[in-house]
Amino acid sequence: MIRTVILFLAIAADASFAAQKPEQVIEHARELDQIVEDRLEEIGQDRRSNVDDYTFCRRLYLDAIGRIPTVDELDDFIEDHQPQKRVRLIRKLLESKGYNSHWFNYWADLLRVKYVGDKLHHPGNFAQWIKASLRANKPYDRMVHELVNAGGPLYQPGNGATGFYARESMPLDHLANSVKTFLGLSIECAQCHDHPFDVWTQKDFYKLAAFSSKTHLRVDPKPDLEKIYAEDRKILKNRSFDEWIVYRESLRVKHAAIHGNGTGFMRLPHDYAYADGEPFEPVMAEVLFGETPDLNYTLGHEKLVSSGKKQYGPPINSREAFANWVVSPENPMFTKSIVNRLWHQVMGTELVGPLGNLSPDGLGPHPELTEQLMKIMKASDYDLKKFLSVLFNSRVYQSKAIALSADNNAYVFDGPIVRRISAEAIVDSLLCLKTATPDQFVATEFQWDGFTHFYEKSQSMGVQDFVDYSVNGPGRGAFQRREELEAKKRNGNVGPKDLWRVSCYAHVDGNHEVAMLLGKSDRELIDGANQEPNIPQILYLLNGHLEQEIIGKRLVYIHQKIKDVDNPEQRMEVLWKAILGRLPSESEKALASQTPEDLIWALLNSNEFRFTK
Amino acid sequence: MSFVLQNNIMNRRKFIYNVGMAGASLPFLNSAHAATHAPRAKSVINIFLSGGLSQFDSFNMEVDSPVLGNSEIINSNVNGIRVSHYFPTLAQHMDKLLVINSMKSNQGAHPAGIYKMMTSYDPRSSVTHPELGAWVSKRLTSAEDSLPNFVSIGKGSAGTAGFFPGQWAALPVKSTASGIEFVNRNSAVDEQQFNQRLGILDALNNDFENAYSTKDTRAYMDTYQGSLRFMNSKDIDAFKLENENKHIVDLYDQQEFSRQCMLAGRLVERGVRYVKVELGGWDYHDNIYGNLPSNAGRLDKGLASLLKHLTQKGLLDSTLVVVSTEFGRKPQVNPNRGRDHHPNGFTCLLAGAGVKAGQVYGTTSKDGEVAEDKPLDVTDFNATIAWTLGIDPAFEEKSASGRPFKLANSGEVREELFV
Repeated sequence: MIRTVILFLAIAADASFAAQKPEQVIEHARELDQIVEDRLEEIGQDRRSNVDDYTFCRRLYLDAIGRIPTVDELDDFIEDHQPQKRVRLIRKLLESKGYNSHWFNYWADLLRVKYVGDKLHHPGNFAQWIKASLRANKPYDRMVHELVNAGGPLYQPGNGATGFYARESMPLDHLANSVKTFLGLSIECAQCHDHPFDVWTQKDFYKLAAFSSKTHLRVDPKPDLEKIYAEDRKILKNRSFDEWIVYRESLRVKHAAIHGNGTGFMRLPHDYAYADGEPFEPVMAEVLFGETPDLNYTLGHEKLVSSGKKQYGPPINSREAFANWVVSPENPMFTKSIVNRLWHQVMGTELVGPLGNLSPDGLGPHPELTEQLMKIMKASDYDLKKFLSVLFNSRVYQSKAIALSADNNAYVFDGPIVRRISAEAIVDSLLCLKTATPDQFVATEFQWDGFTHFYEKSQSMGVQDFVDYSVNGPGRGAFQRREELEAKKRNGNVGPKDLWRVSCYAHVDGNHEVAMLLGKSDRELIDGANQEPNIPQILYLLNGHLEQEIIGKRLVYIHQKIKDVDNPEQRMEVLWKAILGRLPSESEKALASQTPEDLIWALLNSNEFRFTK
Repeated sequence: MSFVLQNNIMNRRKFIYNVGMAGASLPFLNSAHAATHAPRAKSVINIFLSGGLSQFDSFNMEVDSPVLGNSEIINSNVNGIRVSHYFPTLAQHMDKLLVINSMKSNQGAHPAGIYKMMTSYDPRSSVTHPELGAWVSKRLTSAEDSLPNFVSIGKGSAGTAGFFPGQWAALPVKSTASGIEFVNRNSAVDEQQFNQRLGILDALNNDFENAYSTKDTRAYMDTYQGSLRFMNSKDIDAFKLENENKHIVDLYDQQEFSRQCMLAGRLVERGVRYVKVELGGWDYHDNIYGNLPSNAGRLDKGLASLLKHLTQKGLLDSTLVVVSTEFGRKPQVNPNRGRDHHPNGFTCLLAGAGVKAGQVYGTTSKDGEVAEDKPLDVTDFNATIAWTLGIDPAFEEKSASGRPFKLANSGEVREELFV
């Protein structure tokens, strides 16, 4: 029933972007332009000039779908002479598979989606949930609500949001992460002590933690079932280690679940050191700001005080109340944080402040702009495509980029800034030189449902079936692999891996080494990616496999595009468009006599290739 | 020869690896006040046995005999020190080694155990901590250094800088055959062509710089310069085992781990402060006695050769050799003929730098279950390593969000491990 409702809402959400009125987006875009232009007037500064179609096209491809345009895609756009070509390109890219791939990477980084340890915290279903959310263009507030309120079996189809809790086994760390991710606040100091400069005390932290208290991942069957399984488990363990492992792991696919929906009580830590409480004293749930929702307590505070130190009271679904508070439009940090994040993603600077360390009251250096963007986010019903569409359609976004330096204090958010593109965008842009169809194999389209598939099979499996599966099944090494492999097969032709978009495949396929060298997040921390150069990275770009994969490989797309072009200047033009997304300048034309290999090498090593402007 | 004297004699040039990474601002300020007490060692070689070395099949024989499984006790060249028969070569070098049989960790799973051993902290999702090698490099790197001070040899964990800037991460050397990856021109490109390409690149970058210069674009330009100098520098020689003297090469066999040990010795000879060599594969949950002997053989030969190497070069006094692992293994051999994880009472080794060589420090209980006499926590272990280099283990640095972290967490130095 619930799933049907979610499905319905998802379809409705999808429709909302498709059916939206373009005028409304343009109207919002003009609102934010006006605010920036008012500010420019105030300080007596001219508006930055509008970028040409070449610059716009490359910029938009990178920001909307995470790669540069291919030569053909660029030519198509340049040669389009119908009205509103920019509006239409924005729309087209936001509706493309490339969008899902690029933004999957954004969410997977933010939510730290990765394979963790040996306790079967397999992120497949979590990744599936993100992909499904993107395909349905699920509104941001609903996504966050589903994450914070997630519960039940980890591998149940459609229930991948539970991965949010499975990923972090320490509840207090999980809370600090959630607040940082969705409210942009850094409260982790208060986890252990009152901070002299922070607003929140340790007690505030524990009160907040009371909403999700007793939420936990249990990978094994519940104790009553466990008894039935335990005997076979022991027999298998004494007989064959491998069979025992398969037995344990396959059972876990069926039974691993997030339990608990919050008791509304938390206990202060054993070393609580402040006058306003005692160690182990129970505290009741309270939000950091705004109004604390009513909870259906069935047990009074007094009763809990007089019971044992390990008592937290019965579950009362306080976690759902917490989720409601987090995503409420009345919660100023919720909207402020996502607006800050998306502005940073698209324009390259922080609008309000550091992504995970905002001040609770501040609106940033340009409060009117922040407020307007928050209004637009709310008016868009947290539809991220709609919001991004507003940003992309703004004159601000389409202005000449700014090379921001430390002494540039006159910057008033009047254009995007020059910055290095993400590791994944660099690798995916290299793909645009290998093939004319870089979005052909986008893993957001694939179903990585090995575990959910087994989960469904396991619903009819009893104790003896699990024993049989362990003894006669695929064996220890192949258990996970086989399910994954079968899942892959169900997808039909997924193409060779070197033609996949890297922005959406790393969660099950290991790390992409080149992307790691280029600063890809290892997904240990929120916002863990970096854009810094280092010697091993540069050595790779100077001397690595690009030579064999692109530069000197005549079969790839880029070489095919120039193979019949005899005129050196025309050849050069193709290379410049393919790699830099523009025509060669007059002064550069002197380079036309160089070999294509040397030119491709130099272009791929150039700053202009890896920076967006 | 004192360390100071040695320092002055060595021809030291600024190491471009750091120059490139740091751009214009060189963070050498630490070095002026880095040493808080007289150092006992100049360098550390950390042989890290990832997977979890079985203490009862290596160097802790002082337990009830059923605990030893298939291990047979053999005598060493030191009276009273007995080792497992899987280490016959090292048995003849026990006079150079201090055996610590009372190691303790609070982490019993591999990723967390390795993290704890490397950083002294429990893994958390709010911050990543620098590895000990990164702390050492950041504290001790001086303007005269010509090589990076943290090098990680082998395929395992990379040597992370945690919340420090990336320049303090280890320089990775995945194998001795390939050396530093991509440090040589691609085989398809000759020198003339390479220079031709660099000329084009210069022109492109200068144009871009004129229009869009930022500190990030300049950092890339600097790092390209640094990388190119690195490709052509004499420092590369340090990573080329083919240039090692025959009498040193002859100390080692041909196995990759032995060659990695040789490379570590070669780097230490050139003043590198912290070299990590990883030898993995010790996680024998099943069939331990089928699988352990070959791996033990690698360690047995490689480490013994390294000790000879350092001794011959007169470097053992100024180098602390650390053999560590994330945890040990259970006293019981399980039904699959393997041993499971056991973080209480495992074994690590130290050599050089004035450690009490030829002795055993600490014990486990006779049943092998717990560290009994003189338990040594991994944070104390790391504090002691830092102290050996003259670094205060309580030295503090702040993460990006301003949280203070100490080099060895709350670990305390065990001076009694030294003469």
